[in-house]
Amino acid sequence: MSAEVDLKALWNKEEAKDMPDTKELLKKADRVRKLTRIKLITQTLILLATVAVLLTVGFRIDHEQVTTVIGLVLMIIAIVSYLAVANQLLPMLFKSDIEGSSQDYLNQLIRIKRKNEFINKVMINIYFGLLSLGVFLYSLQFVKRMSTGWEVFYYVMVFGWMGFSWFWSRPRGVKKKQKPLNDIIERLEAVNKQLGDSD
Amino acid sequence: MVFDEIYKTYWNKVFRICMGYVNDHDWAKDIAQETFVTIWQQLPKFRGEAAMGTWIFRIASNNCLRQIERQNRMPRSDMPEQIAEHIEHDREPQVQFLYKCIAELPETDRLIISLELEDVKQAEIAKIVGLSETNIRVKVYRIKERLAKKFENYER
Repeated sequence: MSAEVDLKALWNKEEAKDMPDTKELLKKADRVRKLTRIKLITQTLILLATVAVLLTVGFRIDHEQVTTVIGLVLMIIAIVSYLAVANQLLPMLFKSDIEGSSQDYLNQLIRIKRKNEFINKVMINIYFGLLSLGVFLYSLQFVKRMSTGWEVFYYVMVFGWMGFSWFWSRPRGVKKKQKPLNDIIERLEAVNKQLGDSD
Repeated sequence: MVFDEIYKTYWNKVFRICMGYVNDHDWAKDIAQETFVTIWQQLPKFRGEAAMGTWIFRIASNNCLRQIERQNRMPRSDMPEQIAEHIEHDREPQVQFLYKCIAELPETDRLIISLELEDVKQAEIAKIVGLSETNIRVKVYRIKERLAKKFENYER
């Protein structure tokens, strides 16, 4: 088939005229590696600093009641776990093997994105739940000192805020994060299906 | 095989495969560079379980597939014609047409035909893509037929 010969000849005419110098390429590789490391270190430091600030501020206040400490711990867990997941500090969950076959690789990407989707959904619920409960427990001690009028006002405000976050901000947050992920999953699945279509 | 040698031998081959996938010179160059960065990182761990070429083309193909995650990049075909023409000025029209046709195929077909045109054996393509050799043979035949038809219409 002459078309085949032509196709190969045409195919081979394409060249990247400006092949980057090996040194330049390796410099780039090194830069990527350094950047990844710096990013990871910075994120870990931010996490540690957040915990340190919360602990220092929290434990300086006298905590007559055990609920204050529990509340504080819950808030810390909420913030730390959210930041850890948001920054993908758990690389083993998102690791992919680029040396496998295309089919394996696509399946891996789909699995990772699904995991991501699930974690997002679950994490946002855990974050809102723990944070609300934490704020509530933490403040019990201080509310007790208020007059009844202020106490009622405080509870209305707190529960109002919790309701607003849970029914308004949370679903919007989940949706905003899920949309691009779902789009990618859909596209990956469509490509993966191409491999299944063969007869 | 040391990295320098691999780089020199495979740069154009990898570039062409990426070009067949995206049909955008700069984008293809980026993917090819990413591929060689991975090769450089993974080379010390390469145990020779697969042939060197198969291993390299697997990384290149998977790097191409990874582009599905990057939605923001504007595909070549979506560029205004004037800009596209300006970039294309030094490429032969038939070569341009071939790469355009390939980049319009479904993603996995683009990889299969690119590897075939790169003279990779069909048994190796099967290992790279993860399909059986028979499947690859059928797919290659159909894709070539499709391309031949497009060329027939193009030349008329």
